[in-house]
Amino acid sequence: MSTVLVVGLGQVGVRASRQLLDTPGVERVLVGAPDLGDAREIATALHDGAEPLRFAPGDSVPDEVDAVASAVPGEVDVHVARAALRAGASYASCAENEDTARALLDLDGEAQEAGVRVVVGCGLAPGLSDVLARHAASLFDTVDEIHVARFGVAGPASTSEVRRARGEPPYEWRDGQPLRDKRRGPQLVWFPEPVGARECELVATGVDLLVQANPGVPRITARLGEPPPRRLPLASPRDPGVAWGSVRVELWGSRGGRRTSVIYGAIERTATAAGTVLGITSAWLAGTGPDVATGPASGAFGLGVAVKPVAFLAELAQRGVKSATFEGVGVA
Amino acid sequence: MKPYQRGLLVATIAIAGGLILRVRGKGPVPPISNGGWRELQGPELR
Repeated sequence: MSTVLVVGLGQVGVRASRQLLDTPGVERVLVGAPDLGDAREIATALHDGAEPLRFAPGDSVPDEVDAVASAVPGEVDVHVARAALRAGASYASCAENEDTARALLDLDGEAQEAGVRVVVGCGLAPGLSDVLARHAASLFDTVDEIHVARFGVAGPASTSEVRRARGEPPYEWRDGQPLRDKRRGPQLVWFPEPVGARECELVATGVDLLVQANPGVPRITARLGEPPPRRLPLASPRDPGVAWGSVRVELWGSRGGRRTSVIYGAIERTATAAGTVLGITSAWLAGTGPDVATGPASGAFGLGVAVKPVAFLAELAQRGVKSATFEGVGVA
Repeated sequence: MKPYQRGLLVATIAIAGGLILRVRGKGPVPPISNGGWRELQGPELR
């Protein structure tokens, strides 16, 4: 029996709490917010015994907590992670911000010392995309290229992160080093329907985590697509895809002496997918749920390093977040 | 023709020209795919 603290009670945090409450073996789910009234309101809405906790960044994590599921803004994520390490609790973060991800990975030494795991990038992308990339990589003898794209946002905070990521200088991983080319235009990426074809910009977000999980791959890129702002409430029915989130992972490499490609994807409401990934990861870190562990027993790393792809994807599928593969060839 | 009428005419022509260019677009035609997405299941998740 275990206890998980969920902090950052936005759309992703609430859905992660729901997943944890539905996980056998998770005895207590604490929902933490700076305002106890807010935490109480969310705990009541969740039913099933979620417990409210007044928790603000800088506060101590209670000793009985086994794992922390974090969906807090990037600028406070590291402070909460340090508090978790001090309490001897593992930490799962769905941070999208590149700087935040690096700062969390820098906690590797502290996490090893505490004997716990800090798992970075537990959302849609980074997150599910990293697991799909690892799963696809297992089908190749050697992998030459990994191209990840994501469309969709979870909530207002996620929208800000996507805009920031698309506005910052991008880079791709090329032959063992980051290649900061001059800004390139958007690329049309085909996601599963109803998202379909969307323009996605090259970004730096998630590249480091993909490199860490797939050492030796010469070329890695990440792209982000953002739904158009809803200025007119009646405009969205014409484009049902804007309400969805999707990832597409394309790998090129050789298998049996032939150059070939594998394309994996997933489609779900962005917050639901990210919350489910965060929920499963934090439940596993708390010692419950299916055994998805494959990486080191302690330290800081991305989700692609931490979990067994097949077991993780099977658990996700059981909870309704299903992955797909693209079959067929494009004809010009 | 009064100056404001001339300005209005120029603006109308500019907007119409812009709309035509936007509708026609530019660049290559997106590739058409004859494939499709299939859910991962069974041995692929074992």
